[in-house]
Amino acid sequence: MILKRTIPLLIVFGIGVLAFMQDYVPHPWSTAFRDEMTTWTMVIGGFAMFLGLYSLSHMHITKIRRKMPGWGYSIFVFIGAVGMIAVYILGDTIGPLYAGTANKKSLFDWGYEYILVPCSATVFSILAFFMASAAFRTFRARNLAAGLLLAAAIIVMFGRVPVSENVSLRLFGDGMVIPNLSKAIMDYPNLAAKRGIMLGIALGMISQSMRILLGIERSYMGGGD
Amino acid sequence: MTTNPGRPRHYELTRRIIFVLVALAVILPYFSGRQQPFTPSPEVRKVFEKVDGLSPGDHLFIPIDYDPSSEAELYPMCLSLLRHCFKKGVIPIVMTLWPTSVGIAKQGCDEAAADANSMFGKKVVSGKDYVFLGFRPGVQNLILKMGDNLKGAFDKDYYNQPTQGMKALAGVNSLKDIKLLVDLAAMGTVEWWIAYGTDRAGIPMATGTTAVMAPDLYPFYQSNQLIGFLGGLRGAADYEKLLKIPGRGERGMLAQSATHVLIILLILGANIRIFAGRLLRKKEGLS
Repeated sequence: MILKRTIPLLIVFGIGVLAFMQDYVPHPWSTAFRDEMTTWTMVIGGFAMFLGLYSLSHMHITKIRRKMPGWGYSIFVFIGAVGMIAVYILGDTIGPLYAGTANKKSLFDWGYEYILVPCSATVFSILAFFMASAAFRTFRARNLAAGLLLAAAIIVMFGRVPVSENVSLRLFGDGMVIPNLSKAIMDYPNLAAKRGIMLGIALGMISQSMRILLGIERSYMGGGD
Repeated sequence: MTTNPGRPRHYELTRRIIFVLVALAVILPYFSGRQQPFTPSPEVRKVFEKVDGLSPGDHLFIPIDYDPSSEAELYPMCLSLLRHCFKKGVIPIVMTLWPTSVGIAKQGCDEAAADANSMFGKKVVSGKDYVFLGFRPGVQNLILKMGDNLKGAFDKDYYNQPTQGMKALAGVNSLKDIKLLVDLAAMGTVEWWIAYGTDRAGIPMATGTTAVMAPDLYPFYQSNQLIGFLGGLRGAADYEKLLKIPGRGERGMLAQSATHVLIILLILGANIRIFAGRLLRKKEGLS
């Protein structure tokens, strides 16, 4: 119990309080402590990547072994990972192994630039299609509040693109009427709402941090405690 | 495309028609090569003017905090900023908080450095005219570390050159020695840079983000924690226009206009259909 609970709680409390206090103590020791701690966390961050790699591999190996739905896609995780590691070692360490003679790009850079970048961008760009379809189906003026939201969305969406300046010029004789209306929505109602949400989140984070420091919140230690 | 057995047939058909319309609205205007006139927003103009006001030899810190999925919106911003620096003789210090962003950051540096030669007749060299520091783990702690000791956080650059004694980093010991920081972000790093980096170091900050993230920036912009920001492809286009070097941002404006107008028409069409249906049902009920 002492090793599993008390000592970790004491470490968290001690380091947490010291990390919190160093901002208010302008002493060289305090600065040295921060410098040391940030170095430690950077090192720990490096190890966390290995943990992430292990966790990802474990999840996909389990999926393949148990032939879970979509297990075939998990094979591509390993093809991609092993492939990129191999071309990095061969291309950048043992190399030179270039994908072309003119561009002098290493195979790793080539794989990143011409496989990873287009694939990631493609997956993200598919969002545009789903958003258009979802907007068509769900953006309905069912009541006054929904109607206001719809009107605001249309003004902002339209005001953000250059064509709104042409339309504005033809309708109002001033190209900036619709863009300015869009900006006003972003500058006032949007800002007020965002600030409220952010303050709420910040207060929640402070209270959660206090709970962790004081040992009230212990779920990060595992074991469902 | 598989159909969902629970959905009516017309649902799938409408969905497919919308997909085709969106594809056409993006592809046709983009490849038409036509451009639309537009006025750069004040948020972007402030960033441009700040960078433009820097003196040769000043340092601009550019964290590349986006991965390839957001390349379409943020890469044009990265190129414009770096080109602006090279044009002015400002020294950009590029780094990333994310391992997946290293390749895209390097690509930006390489392309802008090559452009500097062809566009401004300047031969730009890594370590002298710009620095690419690459990636280190730690995220918020890395930012804190750079606030105290930048060369301690990055003892070598991406190309394994020691940062100590590097000509491009002369006079730069921490973030306090930077004239401006512009975070190009598709993740929640803007708040971290403000809280742990620029506010503590007392240096101005701007940002370039994806369009969906832009509404979150207004509170920081109003409180002057951000001097300005570039929101989405439109932000990139604004910067390109101000820099007078056209790129993918400006080229994408007609496609973005067409897509936004299409989505607005779809929403309005769907609502008109519902209202008309309701009116019809009411009439039928009355007669």
